[in-house]
Amino acid sequence: MTDPIIQVKNVSKIFGGLTAVNQVDIEVPEKYIYSIIGPNGAGKTTLFNCISGFYFPEKGEILFYGDPIQGLSTNLVAWLGISRTYQNIRLFSNLTAVENILIGLHPNLKTNWVDAIIHTKRFRKEEGGSVKEALRLLDYVGLKGYGDFLAKNLPYGLQRRLEIGRALANQPKLLLLDEPTAGMNMNETAEATHFIKRLRDELGITIILIEHDMKVVMGISDRISVLDYGTKIAEGNAAEIQANPRVIEAYLGPGGAALSEKYKKQRLSYAKSN
Amino acid sequence: MNKNLVSPSLKRGLTFGIVMIIFVLIDLDVMVATMLSKLFGANVIRGSLPDVRFMVLFLILFGMFVGWSTSSDDAKPTTKLFQALVAGLTLGVVLGLFDLILNQLIVTGTDVRKYLAALAPESIRLFLFDQGAISPLLHLGLFTVASLLGSLMKILLKSESASRFFKGVKSGYQGLKAKAQANTPNWVKKYGKFLLFLLIGLLAFFLPRIWGSYNNYVVGLVGLYVILGIGLNIIVGLSGQLMLGFAAFFAMGAYSVALLNAPLPHGIMLGFWPSLLIGILMAVVAAVLLGLPVMGMRGDYLAIVTLGFGEIIRILLKSDLLTSFTGGPRGIQDIRGPTLFGQPFSSDIDYTYIILVVMVLSIIIYKRLERSRTGRAWLAVKEDTKVAQATGVNIMTNKLLALCLGAAFAGLAGGIFAARNQFTGPNDHQLMVSMNILSILIVGGVNSIPGIILGAFTLKGLPEILREIENYRLLVFGGLLVVMMISRPEGLWPATRPNIEKDEGNKLKEDGAPGEGGLND
Ligand SMILES: Nc1ncnc2c1ncn2[C@@H]1O[C@H](COP(=O)(O)OP(=O)(O)OP(=O)(O)O)[C@@H](O)[C@H]1O
Ligand SMILES: [Mg+2]
Repeated sequence: MTDPIIQVKNVSKIFGGLTAVNQVDIEVPEKYIYSIIGPNGAGKTTLFNCISGFYFPEKGEILFYGDPIQGLSTNLVAWLGISRTYQNIRLFSNLTAVENILIGLHPNLKTNWVDAIIHTKRFRKEEGGSVKEALRLLDYVGLKGYGDFLAKNLPYGLQRRLEIGRALANQPKLLLLDEPTAGMNMNETAEATHFIKRLRDELGITIILIEHDMKVVMGISDRISVLDYGTKIAEGNAAEIQANPRVIEAYLGPGGAALSEKYKKQRLSYAKSN
Repeated sequence: MNKNLVSPSLKRGLTFGIVMIIFVLIDLDVMVATMLSKLFGANVIRGSLPDVRFMVLFLILFGMFVGWSTSSDDAKPTTKLFQALVAGLTLGVVLGLFDLILNQLIVTGTDVRKYLAALAPESIRLFLFDQGAISPLLHLGLFTVASLLGSLMKILLKSESASRFFKGVKSGYQGLKAKAQANTPNWVKKYGKFLLFLLIGLLAFFLPRIWGSYNNYVVGLVGLYVILGIGLNIIVGLSGQLMLGFAAFFAMGAYSVALLNAPLPHGIMLGFWPSLLIGILMAVVAAVLLGLPVMGMRGDYLAIVTLGFGEIIRILLKSDLLTSFTGGPRGIQDIRGPTLFGQPFSSDIDYTYIILVVMVLSIIIYKRLERSRTGRAWLAVKEDTKVAQATGVNIMTNKLLALCLGAAFAGLAGGIFAARNQFTGPNDHQLMVSMNILSILIVGGVNSIPGIILGAFTLKGLPEILREIENYRLLVFGGLLVVMMISRPEGLWPATRPNIEKDEGNKLKEDGAPGEGGLND
């Protein structure tokens, strides 16, 4: 096991009386695909928001390459190399696909407004380079030919891909994907799964994945954590998670463990596919 | 034919009839006829009435418009004609009845100018075509036929074959254009744009010398408002911060030039160019002082704070307390104009040059900013602030930068404005100025340079030109605005996003690189 790229240590996030994330510990080694699953409202997205700087956790520590990052503003977190996508797609909807990716490149660019006004050599070089890079990424995420569409006019599946493209533009070390296959049909889901694997294999990016589709999760995860009511109730590889009685209980309700093996599996796959 | 068809057309005819009656009551009909006659080159002496032919023409056009707008888009041709017939007849009957009253006034020699200042007997006669008792019948016939004509026009222009014709023309034009582009020798491609700019440059050089000081005044005013529009657009259109007190920055520029370059109250006489620079700086400083405290807050605060700031500045300038420093309510006179290479450079013509050059520079700067990392960051902040930040954009600095650059344009325009008028006072910087600039963006089209130019012309140039028709200026102007906002809600010339993928593909093709497939041409 390589050194962890990110460590979430004893993190809690409280909204008024509700503890959305409760003393969660997670350690993700580099180049892992690490999945976080759990029923609706378990606190998965909230945990993402803590890591990416949207929320400041009340308790605990988040270490990126050993340095604490909790409390940093989101742009600094992005600048350090953590990118994310959103559960309900949040693109810059009145800008084109290429422009969305160009904005993703922002942290890597250096020219400022003075360069832009004078059109310095530095500016022209960087601008030309970033357009090329944006088009390359556009192609990489499979949106070639759609670059000049307004983001809001793209079909749903392509919007999800564009969001990943924008996140990749930042050249992240760590990528947080919040339900990337939500709303996709079976074919699209299979394609997306394959694509996520490619991101890790080709680009060497560490990925934390929130996902409800168990086929996806079990297929590509190196390790899985399960959240329930904000608490981490299990961690392990796919086989361990599938066999864990607490997980089954979290998904099926109390008494679930007592159900017969066969029935349990049936119910489990049903619950997961929803 | 069923009732559903008749009653809407009837209502339309009635409505337009009432509209026409109101037109007559305020004498607008004569005004329009006069304008039409001028359009055809007739020389109408002030105070005299136009030829009756032009009144007929106006009424025909009006009737045709009624017919056109009454025929529903999706109806069959016969239905359309029927609708127009009903509307036209209604219109004719309504006005015929009105004619009877008017005719009675003429016959009895009653002068109603006591109640309706504009309604002179001559105007009434003109409206009745001077035909007395038979004019109701004439009007009835005229409106019915005109309405049918309007409907017929719609049927012809919107028919299948017509739309096919237009499509054919369009594709033919595009084919020709592509062919022309392919066939133009390289030097034309290279220098064509340059030649065009040269032509525009020559026009901009010679026209101000020819067309007289009034036109120079109007063009200068429009140009200044284009510069102001560009400045405000950086703040509102690009970075998405609503600002209502933009005139405050305008005042900073104007008063800097005034105080530093007029004999009273201080007599510093620093010279125009240095004071203009200081004016820009002052505007930027004000923007920073104003922006810093509200940056962290939600968007609407900036609107309110700047609104207040604008008014405070104006009231301070006006106050007796500061009279010895700012000139008080009377303002500052005798502001010295600019010089160029030691020569005075402040005639009408010179100011037009200065404003045009500054305007072009502003447009170039705006364009370069918009298509840069900074401009895209602004747009991202406008679209979704939180996500923009999580994508790595520093919200504070970028918003503040937009505010400062926008304010700089306002300071610049203010300085030139004050020097050009050789005067500035508190009334030059009222809230109305801020609202006007904001309206330019909305009417013309946010984030669109042609839109801003059109908007500035419509809002600042047109009212000047419409001065001809004095009393109806605001009425016509308001009507135009309403029509515009209904028919073009995104502005006269809405912005489009750049086609970066396509352009890059074309560039590759031109460079002779192997053409890549999949581009959506
Ligand atoms: N900003 C907020 N203010 C108050 N409560 C919040 C806020 N954000 C989330 N919550 C609450 O915290 C709990 C966890 O929400 P979260 O969105 O993290 O769940 P999730 O695991 O992502 O669920 P899902 O699978 O539906 O996306 C929920 O009960 C939610 O209502
Ligand atoms: Mg969620």
